[in-house]
Amino acid sequence: MTDPAPKLAPGVKLRKDAKRGTVLLGPERILELDDIAQAIVAEFDGKRRVSEIAAALAKEYDANADDIRTDIENLLKDLTQKGYVKP
Amino acid sequence: MTELTPIGLLAELTHRCPLGCPYCSNPLELTRANQELDTKTWTRVFEDAASLGAMHVHLSGGEPLVRKDIAELTNAAHLAGLYTNLITSGVGLNAQSLTELRAAGLDHVQISIQGVDPTRADAIAHFKGGAKAKREAARVVVEEGLALTINAVIHRGNIKDLPAIIDLAVEWGAGRLEVAHVQYHGWAIANRASLMPAREDFLTAAKLVEDARKSLEGTLVIDHVIPDYYAERPKACMGGWGRQVIVVTPDGRALPCHAAATLPGFAFDNVKDRSLAEIWETSEAFQKFRGTAWMPKPCQGCDRAEIDWGGCRCQAFAITGNAATTDPACALSPEHTKLREMATADAASGISTYRFRRIGG
Repeated sequence: MTDPAPKLAPGVKLRKDAKRGTVLLGPERILELDDIAQAIVAEFDGKRRVSEIAAALAKEYDANADDIRTDIENLLKDLTQKGYVKP
Repeated sequence: MTELTPIGLLAELTHRCPLGCPYCSNPLELTRANQELDTKTWTRVFEDAASLGAMHVHLSGGEPLVRKDIAELTNAAHLAGLYTNLITSGVGLNAQSLTELRAAGLDHVQISIQGVDPTRADAIAHFKGGAKAKREAARVVVEEGLALTINAVIHRGNIKDLPAIIDLAVEWGAGRLEVAHVQYHGWAIANRASLMPAREDFLTAAKLVEDARKSLEGTLVIDHVIPDYYAERPKACMGGWGRQVIVVTPDGRALPCHAAATLPGFAFDNVKDRSLAEIWETSEAFQKFRGTAWMPKPCQGCDRAEIDWGGCRCQAFAITGNAATTDPACALSPEHTKLREMATADAASGISTYRFRRIGG
């Protein structure tokens, strides 16, 4: 299985907004993130791999690393399709 | 009062533009340079928009780069906390100006193209050397590591070039492509007979976009703005009247959409006289078609009423003479057949001359 180091696509910003919570902002688009998604996206720095992020979040939230990894991969797939993230 | 929060501010900084595209969305009566808002007023508008909850500003025009204070304006929008999107023809964008804009806080650049073949593209834009300048502008945007969107306006004269246009967007390194069929407002309505594609060509284009979205997934995001005249249901124009977007014209009028100034019986408030928040919340113009209470049948009670919000008011007015009627793009509108017949006749008109956009034109 591949183990990419995801990062935000060019022009995409992670912002906190008073009315909408944490959002991803891109050209002509905006995506509101739930608590889990924002915790994951905040780790997408283009350096750390999905496996490392999964391990770190599993530790932080006292959860199963495999479950977290599945969450990350699903979110990564969705955000890549929408053009917010580059794997 | 409204609980709604705008998402974006479309700042039409100027109507001046070196190009003369016959489908320009600006009104036929263009604002002159001496009527344009100054730097200070725009700065206040950006701050007001951000306080209202807007997240994006689209620095548009005309050609926004003709404003000598464009870097200062970009910086003001950036400091207000807005995501800054420059909507440009690309003419006037070079390594030096881009470096300056980037330092000012520019987040994204959208460059319009008229086609792939430079001679034909320049003919549509009515500007020699435009295609070359655009290519160079796209190159420096990508080289600077900024996000690039290519906006390709599609009409009868270039609809068959769509595969090459998609290839061009990929070759230029764009992350996003807008395949924007001409919307018939402003100059485009004056040139409708020369611009309207045949329905079968539109259907082919739609299929091409669908296929390209799949094959280019992860490389290129493609947004498809379809021509209303061939639609079955209308678009939620601007995300619904007074729901998501505020347009401010070069002379400071705040509009719910960029064509709204064509509607009769409106007094549009000016940001020179009132704050953007006041205009958004209480002005007659923004409240007029907001929500569903104004809707006639068949919109009233329709299960799509809060999806398309009745479609486009300006189109309803342009076709039926009544802004408060169902957008004829909707198949449920009694005027829908008329709209489709207009499109069919225009597409077969054989007219290939354009009335090019110009100030005083």
